Amino acid sequence: MESQKVDLFMMMNAKHFESYQLSAIREKLLQMDESKWPIVQSLQLKDPTTSLIISIVGGGALGIDRFYIGDTGMGIGKLLTCGGLGIWTIIDWFLIMGATREKNMEMFQKSIY
Amino acid sequence: MSKNKLYSLLLIACSAGFIYLLYQSYFPESNKYSVCIIKNISGIPCPSCGATRALQLLFKGDFIGSILMNPFGIIISAILILLPFWIVIDLILKKETFYTFYNKMECLLKQKKVAIPLIILVILNWIWNINKVI
Repeated sequence: MESQKVDLFMMMNAKHFESYQLSAIREKLLQMDESKWPIVQSLQLKDPTTSLIISIVGGGALGIDRFYIGDTGMGIGKLLTCGGLGIWTIIDWFLIMGATREKNMEMFQKSIY
Repeated sequence: MSKNKLYSLLLIACSAGFIYLLYQSYFPESNKYSVCIIKNISGIPCPSCGATRALQLLFKGDFIGSILMNPFGIIISAILILLPFWIVIDLILKKETFYTFYNKMECLLKQKKVAIPLIILVILNWIWNINKVI
C-alpha cells in the first residue's frame, strides 16, 4: 500500500494500539494489498480513554467496560459477581486501557487475514 | 485471549468464589459489610447483590428461597460447580472443548437479537432487587 495512506492510518489510529505494536502494524500495512484498504479503514477500533471513563463512572462494577471492548465472557463474569466482589473492578481501572489496545490489535489482525 | 490465560483466570476466579462462600458461611456476622462498590457508594443494590445469600440458600436446599433472593444465584452455582470439572478434564485430555465453547458463546451473545433480551432481563432483575431492598 502507498506509504502516504499508511501514514494517514497510523496518525489517526496511533492511540488505539500499544506503542510497541506500531512499527509492526506499519510494516504489515506497507506490505498489504491495496484492496484491503477499505476494510482496514472501516475498522471499529475502540478508544482506550472511553473504556477507562466507562470503567470509573460506575460501569466497572457491572462489567459494562468489558462489554464495550467486546470481551463479553469477562463482562458476564463481572456482572454476575458484583464486579468480582469489588476487587476486579479496581484492578480493571488500571488494566482496561491495555486490554482495549490488545482487543484492537486482535481486531486488526483478524481483518487483514 | 489465549487458552491458558482463560483457563488459569477462571480457575482462580472459581477458587476465590468458593473461598468467599466458605468465609461467608463460617463468619456470617461479617455480612453487614457489603463488598459491592455500587451498594456501598449509593446505597442502591446492584443487579447481582444478594447472590451470595442466594447461593447459601441453594446449597441448603431452599430452591425457591434462592430464586426469590436473586435468580443469578442459580446461574452462578451452575458455573461454579461445572467449570472446574470441565477445565480439569480439558487439561487432562489436552483438548480445548471449553475454549471453543467460550468463543462460540461470545460470538452468539454479541448478536443484537440475543443481547437485547438478556440486557432487559438484567435490568428487570435490577428493578426487582431495588424493590426487594436487599
